[in-house]
Amino acid sequence: MSHIPHLTSHISHPPSHIPYHVLTHHQNEYNRPILVDWNITLPTTLLLDSLIRSIQVGSLYALMAIGLTLTLAVMRLPNFAHAELITVGAYVGLVSTNWITGNLLLTITLCFIVAALVALVSHKVVYQPLEQINSSIYTMILATFALGLIWRYIIFILVDFFRLYDLRIKVPIAIWYQGQAMTLTNIFFWVVPTAIILIVALSLLLNFTGLGREMRALADNRSLARVIGVPVDRVVNMTWILTGGLAGVAGALWGVQTSVNPLMGFLAILSVFAATILGGMTSFSGTILGAYVVGFSENLVMQLLNYYVGLDFSFKPAIPFIIIILVLLFRPQGLTGFTESLRTRTIRRSPAPQ
Amino acid sequence: MNIDFVATGIALATFFGISALMALSLNLEYGVAGIPNFGQALFVSIGAYTTALTYTYLLPVLAAHEAIYPCGSTLTEALQLRTGIIRNALDVGLFNLFWTFLIAAAIGGLVGYLASYPALRVKEEWYLALVLLVASEIVRIIVRGYEPIICAHNGMSGIAQPFVAVGDSRLASILFAGLVLALVAVVFLYSERLIRSPYGRLLKAVRENDQVAQSLGKQVARVRGQIMFIGSAIAAISGVLFVINLGFASANDYVVALTLDVWLMVVLGGIGNNWGALLGAFVVTVLDRVTAIAAIQLDAIDVPIEFTFVRFLLFGVIILIMLRFRPQGLVPEKALTTKAHQVLQS
Repeated sequence: MSHIPHLTSHISHPPSHIPYHVLTHHQNEYNRPILVDWNITLPTTLLLDSLIRSIQVGSLYALMAIGLTLTLAVMRLPNFAHAELITVGAYVGLVSTNWITGNLLLTITLCFIVAALVALVSHKVVYQPLEQINSSIYTMILATFALGLIWRYIIFILVDFFRLYDLRIKVPIAIWYQGQAMTLTNIFFWVVPTAIILIVALSLLLNFTGLGREMRALADNRSLARVIGVPVDRVVNMTWILTGGLAGVAGALWGVQTSVNPLMGFLAILSVFAATILGGMTSFSGTILGAYVVGFSENLVMQLLNYYVGLDFSFKPAIPFIIIILVLLFRPQGLTGFTESLRTRTIRRSPAPQ
Repeated sequence: MNIDFVATGIALATFFGISALMALSLNLEYGVAGIPNFGQALFVSIGAYTTALTYTYLLPVLAAHEAIYPCGSTLTEALQLRTGIIRNALDVGLFNLFWTFLIAAAIGGLVGYLASYPALRVKEEWYLALVLLVASEIVRIIVRGYEPIICAHNGMSGIAQPFVAVGDSRLASILFAGLVLALVAVVFLYSERLIRSPYGRLLKAVRENDQVAQSLGKQVARVRGQIMFIGSAIAAISGVLFVINLGFASANDYVVALTLDVWLMVVLGGIGNNWGALLGAFVVTVLDRVTAIAAIQLDAIDVPIEFTFVRFLLFGVIILIMLRFRPQGLVPEKALTTKAHQVLQS
C-alpha cells in the first residue's frame, strides 16, 4: 500500500536501523553475486564466468519453476505467492545453519518441511475456500498477490524483530579457482547438483509412482480423474507439499549464492514465471529448458549485449519480462512443441511395446 | 501528537480524488467490460512521464523561454526555470496543465487501445493480465535506465502544481484539491452515463459472454479496444495529477503495488459499480493515511514491531476477507433497467 499517493510518508523516514535497500525495490535487483571485476575485460574469462552463473541461476530457476508448473498444471492456479515460499526456504536455511545445526542435509530437509507447511496452509486457508465458492481466475490471481503480500510482511516483521537483514547462509566456502577475473567456489558444485538431483527425483516421482500418475490425471482432466476414483484432495495436498518444499530448497540454495533478504523471492518470481511460460505453462521438460534459457539470457546474453552493444546492466531485469511478453503473444505453447517432437522422435526410435 | 487537521483534510481529499480516478478507470475496464487490467501502473505512469516531459519541453516554450535538458550539468538550471515559471505565471501553468491532460490522455488511450490487441491473441484470458503486468514493469525498467525522460533512476523534481502561483500555499492546495475533485465528478458522471447507455449494456454483454455478443453481430475486439482507450486515458489523467501532487517523478512509484492498490479499491467497493469504486477509493485512502500516521506515531514511542509492515499485512488480509466473504464488494452492482423494460415487466 506504500504507493497510494502520500505526501509525507513518500519521502518518509524508514526507521534508521533498517538498511535502506531492504525497503526500496530497485536497488535490490542487482543483489546478485558479483564474481567478476568488471574493469578487467578478458573476453574468455568473462564468457566463462557468465557461463557458470548462467548454469547456476538456470538450475535454481528450474527448481523454482517446476513447482510453479506443478501448481499451474494440477491446480490451474498462477500462484504469485510462490515467491514467498522461496523466501521462507531461504530464511529457514539461514536460521538453521547459523543457530541450529551445521548439518547441511538436515538444513535442506528443514527448509523443505517448513516451506511445504507454508504452502499447505496457504492452500487450506485461502485457495481451497476460494475455489469452493467458484471464484474467477482473476479473483484467484488477486488472492495469490494478497497472500504473497501477507507472507512477505510476516517475514518482514519477524526479520525486523530478530534483526536478520542481509545475513548469509553459513556454509563452508572453499575457493577452488581464483583467476584474474573470475572466482570459482565450491558453492557452484553444491548448488547445481542438488538442484539437478531434486529435479530428477521429481520427474521420477511424476512418471513412475502412483502419486505421479494421479497428479498427471488431475492435470489432464480434473472431473474425469475424480470420476475414476483419484483421491483429489489428497493428491492436491501432496502437490502443494511438493511445490512448497521444492521452492523452499530452491530458496535456500539461492540464499547460499547471494545474501538473504525478505524481498528475494518477490524479485525472482517474474523470472521464474518467464521460465514456466517459456516451457508452455504445464510442461515439465519445457519448464526446465525454459529455466535454463532464462538463466542464460539473464547472464550470458546480457553479458554479451553489454560487451558488444554497450547495453547497461540496469536493463537486466527487463529480459525475463520481454521473454514473457513475446512468448505469450507469439508462441503461447512455449517450447513444448519442441520438447514434444524430441520425445516422439525417441519413442519412435525404440521398438514398439507389444 | 500535533497534526494539522485542515491540511490533512485537504491532502486527504486530493489523495482520494486521484485514487478515485484510478479506481473509476479500472472499474470501467474490469468491472464493466471484464478486461483484467493488471497494468494500471503502466497507464498511470504514462501520465506521470508525460507530465515530466511537458514540464521540461512545453512549459518553458509557453512562457517564451528555451527548453533546457533536465538532467546532468543543466539539472539545476532546468529545475530553476520550471519552478520559476510555475511560481510566477498562473496562466502559463494552467495552460500547460491543460495540454498535459490532453497529451497524456491521448498517449495513454492509444497505448491502452494497443494493449487490447494482445487480448485477441492470447490463448487463455488470464495471460492478458500477465502481459499487462509485465509490460508495466518493462516500461518502468526502461524509464529507470533511459535518461531523457525523468533523468533515469534519479527522478525529476520540481513538478509543482500550477496553483502555487496564487501565493498562499493553503489556498493553492485547496484550489488543487478542488480541481481534482471536479475532475472526479466529471469522470464519474461520464462513466455513469456510459454504463446506462446502450453502449454500456453492450460492454456488460461482452463481459458476461463475449461469444454470445459476437454471435449477435457485435464487434467484441473493437469494443474492448474502445473501452481500453477510455479507461487508460482516465488512468493517464490520474497519473498527471498523481505526479503533480507528489511534485516528484520517480519510476519506482509505478510498481506492481500501485496496480494492486487500485484493484483493492475496486474489489472492496464493488466490481461494476461506480459508487463502489468511489467508496473503495475513499476507504483505502483513509485507511492508508490513518495507518501511515499511526505507524509513524507508534514507531516514535519505541514499540519493537515495525508498524509499516503491519499496514501491508492488513491490506492483504482485507483483500482476502473481501474475496472470500463478500466477493461482490461493499456496494454490489445493481441490475440496471430501462423505462421500456420496466413497463414490459409490470
